[in-house]
Amino acid sequence: MRNGLDVRRRFNLRLLFFYAATLGFFGLILAHLADMQLVKHKQYLLQSDRNRINVVPVLPERGMITDVAGRGLAVNRVAYQVLMIPERVTRREQVLRRLAEMLHWDEARVARLRKRIAHSRADRPVLLADRLPWGQVAPLAARLHHFSGIDVQANSYRYYPYGALTSHVVGYISLATAEDVARGYQANEFVGRAGAERAFEARLHGTPGARQEEVDAHGRRVAVLQRIPPKTGENVHLSLDVDLQRVAADALGARTGAVVVMDVQTGKLLVLLSRPGYDTNRFITGLEYAQWNAWLRDVRKPLVNRTIQAAYPPASTFKLVTALAGLRHHIPLATGSSFCPGYLQLADRKLRCWRHQGHGRVDLRKAIMQSCDVYFYELGDQLGMGRLAEEARRWGFGEKTGIILSPEARGNIPRVGSGRGRWYRGVTMISAIGQGAVTATPLQVARFAAAIANGGRLLRPQLDADAAPVVERIIDVAPAALQRVREAMRAVVAERKGTAYYALRHLPWHVAGKTGTAQVVAMRKREAKGASGYDPHKDHAWFMGFAPYEQPRIAFAVFVEHGGHGGSAAAPVAAAIIRAMAAHADQQGAGT
Amino acid sequence: MRAVLRGLDLPLLLAILGLAALGMLTLYAALHQGDLSLWRKQGMVWVVGFALMLGMCFVPLRVFGLLTWPIYGLALLLLLAVPLVGEVHMGARRWLNLGLVVMQPSELMKWTLVFVLAHWFASREASQWRTVLVAVLLTALPAALIAKQPDLGTTLVLIFSATAMLIAAGLRWRVLAAALALAVALLPVIWHYMHDYQRQRVLTFLHPEADPLGAGYHVIQSTIAIGSGGLSGKGFLQGTQARLHFLPEQHTDFIFSVLAEEGGFLAACLLFALYTLLVFRVIAIAARAQNRFASMLCIGIASIFILYITVNVGMVSGLLPVVGIPLPFISYGGSALLTMLAAVGVVLRVGIEAHGHVPWQRPGSPLA
Repeated sequence: MRNGLDVRRRFNLRLLFFYAATLGFFGLILAHLADMQLVKHKQYLLQSDRNRINVVPVLPERGMITDVAGRGLAVNRVAYQVLMIPERVTRREQVLRRLAEMLHWDEARVARLRKRIAHSRADRPVLLADRLPWGQVAPLAARLHHFSGIDVQANSYRYYPYGALTSHVVGYISLATAEDVARGYQANEFVGRAGAERAFEARLHGTPGARQEEVDAHGRRVAVLQRIPPKTGENVHLSLDVDLQRVAADALGARTGAVVVMDVQTGKLLVLLSRPGYDTNRFITGLEYAQWNAWLRDVRKPLVNRTIQAAYPPASTFKLVTALAGLRHHIPLATGSSFCPGYLQLADRKLRCWRHQGHGRVDLRKAIMQSCDVYFYELGDQLGMGRLAEEARRWGFGEKTGIILSPEARGNIPRVGSGRGRWYRGVTMISAIGQGAVTATPLQVARFAAAIANGGRLLRPQLDADAAPVVERIIDVAPAALQRVREAMRAVVAERKGTAYYALRHLPWHVAGKTGTAQVVAMRKREAKGASGYDPHKDHAWFMGFAPYEQPRIAFAVFVEHGGHGGSAAAPVAAAIIRAMAAHADQQGAGT
Repeated sequence: MRAVLRGLDLPLLLAILGLAALGMLTLYAALHQGDLSLWRKQGMVWVVGFALMLGMCFVPLRVFGLLTWPIYGLALLLLLAVPLVGEVHMGARRWLNLGLVVMQPSELMKWTLVFVLAHWFASREASQWRTVLVAVLLTALPAALIAKQPDLGTTLVLIFSATAMLIAAGLRWRVLAAALALAVALLPVIWHYMHDYQRQRVLTFLHPEADPLGAGYHVIQSTIAIGSGGLSGKGFLQGTQARLHFLPEQHTDFIFSVLAEEGGFLAACLLFALYTLLVFRVIAIAARAQNRFASMLCIGIASIFILYITVNVGMVSGLLPVVGIPLPFISYGGSALLTMLAAVGVVLRVGIEAHGHVPWQRPGSPLA
């Protein structure tokens, strides 16, 4: 055994070791804490903020769509929601019973709600009723202090005051899909799906705001830290005149068709009507599958915007293209005349004129006025398909007009040699009178009419009243030639033998126009006659033109699907519009 | 009475008062949104515990010397009884229902072992292998029983305090080094005998991010709380991690993160200053103790404090794996606080008995 003093000295040294070890352990911990709290502080602070701060997007109010006079076409209406936070309701069953009494819920609905509440988080609001008018929630709102845990909230809903009248122009919105969310939308946001709602989505939508909420570890909201208010979407002011749209719709009645009215100078659209329409409000209140299916299956295809999405044979309205081509290429016939016996013999085929007894001797003016087919068969034949198609393209056929709405049909102008085998003369002749493979949308036809009226400026059709007019191109056309065509169009209306004389006489404005009757071929007899006089065997009726003749203000195209003759079916619609416009102009004139 | 007053170690008393104040303040922050009755209860425990601590100042150390071996035997018996009649809580059989009280024999053993080893080393130097072997057996027997319950935390406390006392008793460094090397070599074997939840804790400690909402959640949230506290903290009662209940167990094992979040690095420094004062005073008293038994007692108690503080703050700050060890004097919990205050009372008694006497010079009888 060692010396006692030696033991004591060793013990003292070991005590020093314990002092050092204490400092070592505590120092190590403090160094670690300093690293966390001083060096990496910011990073941890960020994490603690991310823990507790929940950013809830606040949706912006969607901009309104108004017509030219500022009438709302797509507006926001306030409606009310009834919500329940289950954990704050003590006697749930009793409260549900009383709510059912006040809001007139039936037993099935109460059972459904009971189930929904049972399956929901107790600390989050559960939607009990949605889209209630104030009248219905008012009694509850007044007694809300008796219902703890029940809340009535105002909410904004899209409303289309004119519904089916403006369905294709204004369009509709619906809840964001997964793809929209991927593009940056919130899941409970609405996105423009059709018409102006879709075309002007970027302007209408606005910018979402946000609410920074402090939440606890259970996700419960403890406080609101900051609000960034959302920015309301821009209002979009359309050039559309809803009164005129209604006149057009009334004139069409229950018939299927399309009406386009365009400002001759600016290309602004005053009327863009496709019938039948559909009630766009149904999309907002939650479209039922059955309704959607019914629209899809309806033979009259209400969802199709016939002004831009459907291309039809332009029929005799296309004779103006043939006439302009003839004049431009100095075809002798264009300035000369021909004889119409009621048909044209081409090898072993007989191409008929619509007037079987014939038109006798016809020149360009008479051929347009009375819509002689034989004259234009010959003129087309002499031009050839190449020159005819080129002229059509010059006037904007076979290409998209560039209107902001989509999707837009191109229409069809045949390309020579593009098809299989030989190009037949007969096909060219049929094309010269706007039948066969030639198709055009009513908007293309209206724009064509406007270009004739304004001296060859091909305009971009526009819906935005505040946008600068766009001239797509200025068509190189001899003024004399254009004047000849215009004069002939005037004769269509002004002269007793003109095809539209009876429909458009006694109008305050002088109208120039051209009728068209498109033969409907190869329609199967089996297709039943529709409910509202929709007869799939009748011809399509066209009437296009401009007014007033002397100083053109508007150009138009009226198309009636299976409507019969252009002069009797389509021209009266134009007459109603012009009457209304003239009356309106008179009022304004008297006012100033 | 006068002798007691004269010999009382005031700095140590001051450290305890400081910890009482800081502890009650932190506990208030942790509880103020919930059950404040717990806070009042802890206040009562402090009053009782303080009285107990002062009461210990009047108990002569000889009494402990006489009681040490019988209590060790009793604690060992109770530990043996646990696997037979113990109650299971949270998957571990640690509790014993003694009719009046439900107790954990492992807690009793923790402190008893310090007394037993102090008694053993009072007259012996740990440079003799026979002395060391007996000390190791005295430790290993209860340690094995506790490890089997399973209670890894308490087992580690036993091993750590025994090691500290072996060092104080003169264990040769090279023996210690060899033992440490052996322990490291045995790690895979220990791993093999560990329970799944214990392995899980170690894995979670190594990769807390692997399971952020499960086992790693506690550590991640407490490190966020500590780190986001910064230099001066978010302010009293302003800790978002604590206030919004992101912090788990915030009034018990994880209370340090409340202090560090609301008081920042400065509050942590204050706490460690108090702890350092406490431990240094205990070592200083060990240095001037009248006999070697008393010195060894102080070293054993100091080692338990050091271990508790280091392991608790280490685990809360993500430095060490999670084991159920409270933060001395700060965490909520009556019995832990009472036993620690009683231990401080024993140390104070050592100081009182040493007052006016020459420190021991050679190993001798603990009852001398």
